[in-house]
Amino acid sequence: MKISKAVITAAGRNQRTLPLQTLIDRDGVQKSVLAIIAEEVLRAHIEEICVVVCPGDESAYADAVGEHATRLTFIPQPEPFGYGHALYCTRDFVGGEPFLHLVGDHLYVSRSQLGCAEQLVEVAQNEACAVSAVQASRESLLPYYGAVGGQRVPGRQDLYAIQDVIEKPTPTEAEQRLLVPGLRAGHYLCFFGMHVLTPTVMEILGRHVAPLRTPGAHGGATLALALAELASRERYLALERPWWRYDVGVKYGLLSAQLSLALSGADRDQVLAQLLELLALRELQHA
Amino acid sequence: MRASGGSVQSKLVEIILSPDAEVRNRSVDAFARAASLAELHAECAALDTFRRQSPNLYERVRALFFLYAIHRFHLPFKPGLPSTGFVPFDGYTFLLNRRFEEAIDVFLRAEAVHGPGEALSSALAEAYHSLGFQTLADQVRRSVRSVSGNQWMFRIGHPADQPLRIRPELFRRSASSGLFPILQETTPVRMDLSHSAWSDIFFLGMDYPEAARVLNVSIDLSIRGDGAQPRPPVEAYFRVIDEPLVRLASVDLGVTADITGLPEVFDFARDYLGLLKAALIASGIVPPGLEGSEQSLGDLLARLVGPDHGIELVSSVNNIPKGSRLAVSTNLLAALIAVCMRATGQARSLEGPLAEHERRLVAARAILGEWLAGSGGGWQDSGGVWPGVKLIEGVAASDGDPEYGVSRGRLLPDHTILGTDAVSSETRQNLQDSLVLVHGGMAQNVGPILEMVTEKYLLRSEAEWAGRAEACRILDQIVGDLQRGDIRAIGAATMRNFAGPLQTIIPWASNLYTEMLIERARVEFGADFWGFWMLGGMSGGGMGFIFDPGVKLRAQDRMQEIMCDAKSRLDKALPFAMDPVVYDFAINERGTWAQLLSDENSAPPLMPPGYYAITLPALIRRDRRNLPELQRAEMSRFGLACRTEPAFAGMVPTLFDRLLPRGETDAEQNSGLERTLADFGFDRLQHEQIRGDLRAGRIGLAQNHLPIAADIRDVEPDDVRHVTPETLSPAELEALQQIGMDALADGTVAVVTLAGGIGSRWTQGAGVVKALHPFAKLGGRHRSFIEVHLAKSRRISRLAGTPIPHVITTSYLTHAPIEQYLAWAENYGYEGPLMLSPGRNIGLRMVPMTRDLRFAWEEMPQQLLDEQAQKMRDSLHAALLEWARQTGEGSDYTDNVPMQCLHPVGHWFEVPNLLKNGVLARLLEARPNLQYLMVHNVDALGTDVDPVTLAVVMQTGGAMTAEVIARVIEDRGGGLARVDGRLRLLEGLAMPREEDEFGLSYYNSNTSWLHIDRLLTVFGLTRADLANAEKVAIAVRALGARMPTYITLKDVKKRWGHGQEDVFPVAQFEKLWGDMTALPELDSRFLVVPRRRGQNLKDQAQLDGWLRDGSAAFVDALCAWQ
Repeated sequence: MKISKAVITAAGRNQRTLPLQTLIDRDGVQKSVLAIIAEEVLRAHIEEICVVVCPGDESAYADAVGEHATRLTFIPQPEPFGYGHALYCTRDFVGGEPFLHLVGDHLYVSRSQLGCAEQLVEVAQNEACAVSAVQASRESLLPYYGAVGGQRVPGRQDLYAIQDVIEKPTPTEAEQRLLVPGLRAGHYLCFFGMHVLTPTVMEILGRHVAPLRTPGAHGGATLALALAELASRERYLALERPWWRYDVGVKYGLLSAQLSLALSGADRDQVLAQLLELLALRELQHA
Repeated sequence: MRASGGSVQSKLVEIILSPDAEVRNRSVDAFARAASLAELHAECAALDTFRRQSPNLYERVRALFFLYAIHRFHLPFKPGLPSTGFVPFDGYTFLLNRRFEEAIDVFLRAEAVHGPGEALSSALAEAYHSLGFQTLADQVRRSVRSVSGNQWMFRIGHPADQPLRIRPELFRRSASSGLFPILQETTPVRMDLSHSAWSDIFFLGMDYPEAARVLNVSIDLSIRGDGAQPRPPVEAYFRVIDEPLVRLASVDLGVTADITGLPEVFDFARDYLGLLKAALIASGIVPPGLEGSEQSLGDLLARLVGPDHGIELVSSVNNIPKGSRLAVSTNLLAALIAVCMRATGQARSLEGPLAEHERRLVAARAILGEWLAGSGGGWQDSGGVWPGVKLIEGVAASDGDPEYGVSRGRLLPDHTILGTDAVSSETRQNLQDSLVLVHGGMAQNVGPILEMVTEKYLLRSEAEWAGRAEACRILDQIVGDLQRGDIRAIGAATMRNFAGPLQTIIPWASNLYTEMLIERARVEFGADFWGFWMLGGMSGGGMGFIFDPGVKLRAQDRMQEIMCDAKSRLDKALPFAMDPVVYDFAINERGTWAQLLSDENSAPPLMPPGYYAITLPALIRRDRRNLPELQRAEMSRFGLACRTEPAFAGMVPTLFDRLLPRGETDAEQNSGLERTLADFGFDRLQHEQIRGDLRAGRIGLAQNHLPIAADIRDVEPDDVRHVTPETLSPAELEALQQIGMDALADGTVAVVTLAGGIGSRWTQGAGVVKALHPFAKLGGRHRSFIEVHLAKSRRISRLAGTPIPHVITTSYLTHAPIEQYLAWAENYGYEGPLMLSPGRNIGLRMVPMTRDLRFAWEEMPQQLLDEQAQKMRDSLHAALLEWARQTGEGSDYTDNVPMQCLHPVGHWFEVPNLLKNGVLARLLEARPNLQYLMVHNVDALGTDVDPVTLAVVMQTGGAMTAEVIARVIEDRGGGLARVDGRLRLLEGLAMPREEDEFGLSYYNSNTSWLHIDRLLTVFGLTRADLANAEKVAIAVRALGARMPTYITLKDVKKRWGHGQEDVFPVAQFEKLWGDMTALPELDSRFLVVPRRRGQNLKDQAQLDGWLRDGSAAFVDALCAWQ
């Protein structure tokens, strides 16, 4: 299985400016969030990138992504029919091939020279199936993420065969359906915001999206529901690696992401020195 | 054999461990009856070692119950076990503190040092029994916690960890009124179609899942005659509010509270909102892991609902009285939990029914909630959550279940819904057309019944075990009958079940009232009455009568009349909580159901009308401008609803009544009190004397005790004379019998039964006359205490050939009911003279002295509460001290209804009453030979005019001869002692130290033989003086003044408004007959009599043991029934 395309979703109506925020990347250069994500994809040897946006946001996003603009295709999501629908808007771009998918308001930081997307794509290509990156998270974080249940793949510490997917489960549902052997009590595998998906997902989403167009319908299509169905139809794995991800849309999310990038990049010593100075002057003197 | 304490081959441990069901189900009683004293002691040692070592909980529990049964029912009756001995006080203290293991160790050490005895066996029996139940309760609690879906709630220890969020639909405010929508859950109740022989108790299901089976039907109800159609009886409501607090309201109990702190949520006893609090916790909204976390409820709500918002939870029960035996409270709890779970996304659908796995979770959470709140029924009780007719069955635990390896069965059963393919629509309709469902009006605590069922199951007593097997067969028959549509056969089967297995397992399931109703139905309807069907723990409350559909309407009318008539006969004999009602019912085919109320879907987002009756008066009194925006909007919407919605019609006058309550005027109240005082012979002079003593500090709470320096010792061997079969030779017995019989034939004895008390411990304040309570079946019928006493006197009278005069003393509380009942029962056919001695003494309660209040609150040991609650209590105490000061310490307490201002004055007055009211004079006139009065408590069932005892009394020659019994652990409240050298009966109230009582060998049975002339001498009277009322009154008052006056504080409720009540501590006094033995001029003697003769039954919980240990048979043998 060869993965050559990627889809970034950034069409959330209340998150339109997040990908445009700028940060200093690990190489010490100022970039937009979208540019950093695009580079994460490029490190995975994927050349064709599609970004799903709100109608009218195309030019602002193209400006924000700078030198990579030529490699990006922008597809507007005409109606706000949910996350699943946003992804479904890229079906022609994807064209029946497996693809990498990331969300536009998260930054991903790995602990090694290899990028997160790069590692995920490698695993998906080796295993020849859909793979979602996951992280063991405490149950108090369940209201924020989709979560999966399944069994460890024999002989692998970091791979799980997914049996069930629930979007933002209650702890009660999680305890009944998503317990994974080997995790600490009260911990579940939550989505990391990065997936390699197969064309089957588009087919499932197509069925979920169709009723939304009928007059009087309400609600939206969720990716989690489609992924739950995917798990019942074909081999679908979860990859758990000790990566960091930063949601730039939450309070101090941008600050945390910036600090993390700085501490794992070229300016690490300078930033650490500044932080220490800040602490010494501001906090310790008052103590 | 393993773990049986070394080389000892224990037969009972073998029974517990046997893999063969035949052996495992053997009864401990069968073995123990045949065993010798030494064998039983060896078995006890082996069982105790075994239960300490066994890793299996169920084996441990069974061993504990075996130990209890041996110590309670077998050892005390084996020849050779000493009847006297002491219970170590430190062991008793451990028992009080629920430290049972330590208590057992103390008792076993005492047994090793001093040897075994009846007293120690009684203490060990209680400790093993309590430890057995505690072990079981702990296990159920553990199992409930380990149910998948419940575990996370116990891990949440900080608000930041709360993973639940309120569903977004509940935040969508109405465009027109601005109100948040309300989520309404309506739930049917359940009825148990067959009566499962209580097989839904948790322990049975977990140990013997094959036999844990119930046929359970969800039903809607209405009270017949109300004009309403049956509807789901319980409702729960949930909504978001714009204040950062939890608002709870119980419409049925008329209580509401705003909760702002976590400790309050976990304080179940604080108010009547315990069920709602339990639902908040069991649904995970306030996870149980937060108890004692010192965290903020505001932070938790901010996480759950968002900043500055909170939630409101409301419960409502539609006109179904307590004790319906339809599991109203469990289904209400389930409805509350279901609505909370839906609101937090723990159930997939916000509206409509629940999915099967969600119903199971609601049931598991309801069990958790019941355990948290300290109640607990069976696992079928939340059956209303499911639709229609279902078979609920225990399930064997298998690999993967948390119970696997711990118990044979799972905690939660499986529900199989019997659809119309199994039970046709026609059959369902026929069932509704045949069954007359009623509430007989009795409301009793069934908790002890469930404990008895557990105990009997564990002991596998032969008859009960066979009864359980029979009940299982009957259930199969009923399921078959239902599938065939044969309702008549169902009636016959439920009747057979009630008459057979149910009463074999629990004799207390039936009562005189129920049997009167069945008999009347049978007589009136003949072959059209198909059978009686008992619901729940015991009969008398919710019950079913199955009739031919052709007569159902008439049967409904007649059952209402029959019940009302029977109730009027037994009103003072059995605890009725309400007038009987007949229900209309319908099978509910959809189970619990939710609906979102909002203006947008044309259901006004308002709480049920009753909610506004309790919340609006307080809001109206507040300045409208200070009300939160939403409450203002809600009041406007409510106003609109009152004008336009039929459900809210009639709310205006209801609110008006609430705002301006009507009550009796003070003048009306006072004249009623004065009249009652005059009617019952209030002694104003004595009252003033007591007031004077109280105000001067001569009497009071601190003065009740003897001085701490008083020398209190146990009796010497020569202080008492034993009148027990072991202490008298056959020749002595024969001689004494003859002397006694001759005296009886001469007419020297009369019996005085003390029946002035209401027996508040017996019926837990139900206002029933204990003497009239038909408490047990003896000689094949339910008999009251009075009937038993008369039957004993009848037997002796017949033996002696002279009818014994029998006097029953009464009081202002008991006189009229006893008089009416005896007239109705035609004196139970008693042949001898039967007289009532009406009490001529009554006390008027007084405002307490602040000195006594301080003594009670500050110097007596009190349970310390948590910080906030302690502050509340301190502030309440300060207010009450101020009330006492302002109202006037020691002044008359008249600011209440008359009956709450009066009090009984203690049994000292009962004998002097005989002198004052002329009863003794009349007796002496009719029986000039009369010399002795045998005076006894109404609950001393084993006491009769035994000729041998009479002969001994005559030989001892005292003026008063008191009967005492060897003390066992439940005998509390005084005893026979040497006080500063004088032998006397000492009341518990007078003991300077609690532990003094534990050093006394004998307990006062309160039966005494009075020599009339010698007693009159002590009063300064002669027989001739009895005609002189004034002289008698002066003599009684003079002697009464020498008797210690015990002051006690009693909490009385004062009701006002509409269901509001305040509690005031008031002072009252009592004088007790046993103190006569302290008089130097009264020649007092003391006899030790057998326990079965002297024991008093104070609590209904004692009845089952009394029946099983042979005491009932002993009493029956003393009686000659009419």
